Amino acid sequence: MTDQKAGRVDRVVMRDIRKRYGMVDALRGVTLRVGPGEVVGLVGDNAAGKSTLMKVLAGAVVPDSGEIVFDGRTVSFATPKDARELGIEMVYQDLALCDDIDVAGNLFLGREPRKAGGMLLDVRKMHADARRHLDALNIRIPLTDIPVGGLSGGQRQAVAIARAVTFGPKLLILDEPTAALAVAEVETVLELIKTVSAQGVSVILITHRLQDLFRVCDRLCVMYEGTLRADLDARSTSLERLVSEIVAHDTEEKEGRRR
Amino acid sequence: MTVTSQRVVTTRSARASAHIGRHAQTIAIAVVLVALLIFFAFTADRFATTGNLFNLMRQIAPTLIVATAMTFVIGTAGIDLSVGSTVALSGSLLAIVLQNGWDPTVALIAIIALGALIGFVNGWFSSYQHIPPFIVTLAMLSIMRGTALRATEGYSTPIDGDLWIVQIGQGRIAGVPIPAILAVVVALVGWLVLTRTPFGRYVIGLGSNGESLRRTGVNTRKVGLAVYVLTGAAAAVAGVLIATRLSSGSSNAGSGFELEVITAVVLGGTSLFGGRASMLGTILGALTLGVIANGLVLLHVSPFYVQIVQGGILLLAIFANSKVWAKFGAIRK
Repeated sequence: MTDQKAGRVDRVVMRDIRKRYGMVDALRGVTLRVGPGEVVGLVGDNAAGKSTLMKVLAGAVVPDSGEIVFDGRTVSFATPKDARELGIEMVYQDLALCDDIDVAGNLFLGREPRKAGGMLLDVRKMHADARRHLDALNIRIPLTDIPVGGLSGGQRQAVAIARAVTFGPKLLILDEPTAALAVAEVETVLELIKTVSAQGVSVILITHRLQDLFRVCDRLCVMYEGTLRADLDARSTSLERLVSEIVAHDTEEKEGRRR
Repeated sequence: MTVTSQRVVTTRSARASAHIGRHAQTIAIAVVLVALLIFFAFTADRFATTGNLFNLMRQIAPTLIVATAMTFVIGTAGIDLSVGSTVALSGSLLAIVLQNGWDPTVALIAIIALGALIGFVNGWFSSYQHIPPFIVTLAMLSIMRGTALRATEGYSTPIDGDLWIVQIGQGRIAGVPIPAILAVVVALVGWLVLTRTPFGRYVIGLGSNGESLRRTGVNTRKVGLAVYVLTGAAAAVAGVLIATRLSSGSSNAGSGFELEVITAVVLGGTSLFGGRASMLGTILGALTLGVIANGLVLLHVSPFYVQIVQGGILLLAIFANSKVWAKFGAIRK
């Protein structure tokens, strides 16, 4: 059964998702489920299908077959906008912030608070709201009126995540949020993930930094060549076990024996 | 409490350095302008008279109006080289249609609409078809200058001084030339739009990281097109101002005008790579160019030097923009 506990509906269930690009089977029937407020680490070697699977969930890729159930309702996404309207936000690896615009401006880019009948930006409200959002997420950026280009990598990543969170998502997908960050900055981002999930937001975390996964994740899902190979409890799984699942160690041994 | 006090301390120094870094060039150009004003006030007899300063304002009005629009274009990391030719075409056509008996009001609206249309074509090619704006507007520069020459056969066309439209270039309100008033109003509206409206914000975002802006759901192609409509319409207004001031429409008007406009914008600290734009800087830049041209003439320096000086200033400004001031701020570019 997909439901772990009685009365608790899964936030999202992806069932038997398949996607083929020409000769390449990117996804060969993947089933993944995420509960409310749960942090799921999605790991796997390069080309295992993690990004494709997440793009399917974010509406950027339309699967060939399979079913997505969101909050108990079967849904289908034609565009990223469809997914966003349901409350699925994805923070892309390449940050996507405007360096020359200040922190508050980036947080509200594209949906700025307005006044004078929508003609003018309500700059004061924007900064006040930005301050409130950052404080609520325990993000320590002292100023909301300096350009994000002047912030550290960790602060920038925090702003990018905070921006996604301000949309009020139910599910947040983070693609390599801690890649290319200094050690102290990784802490900032991991704390932020904990804060966000404590507020009931489900998080799917894609990362190659395996040590991070054990710090924040409830479950670890390992993908291998377009399939979900393992669904592990983060508390009872060792790093060695995880690594061997990722490189599919025992499978190859079995196959070797069969030959 | 300690967090709060820490925050206040970092707030002050970080904010100060961030502001100085971002506005270094605007501050520098303000200093240069004041120095030039003092210099010419002491060396050129009639420089610091009300009459001359009003005259100066009238001279730079077309530059300032187009530079205001150009600040948006350059803010998106674009460029519009066709504004000088649009000035020539709109001035020439205005004179021709007035000679053919068009109502001045209709003629004025038609000319500005034509300028906006030229800008629309520029914007469509560069924003929707992703052809570099440098190439698009360079081609348009040639096409519009050629059209102006063809329409006038190279002759100047006089404008009847009795028509009300001549007042746009020659009239005064309470002693202040109308072009100067118009330019100040346009610049103020430009400042408001750039700093206080969503559109201005998207212009900066487009120049800073267009893909990021697109992902937030903003129609970036529309924004990229709109800025060229602004320069096109502004260039048409400038053409009307110049033609009515001289009471004649000439196909040779506005040659080298695009260079003057771009110099004013860059001088004010707007980055040619987009993402950084200062309307105050543009106003100061246009004033500086005007003061230099006006002051040199009053000092009886050959007017041919003015162009040399302007070109030199453009080179210096871009050098300072990309090499010197960049060190002050945390912002790259």
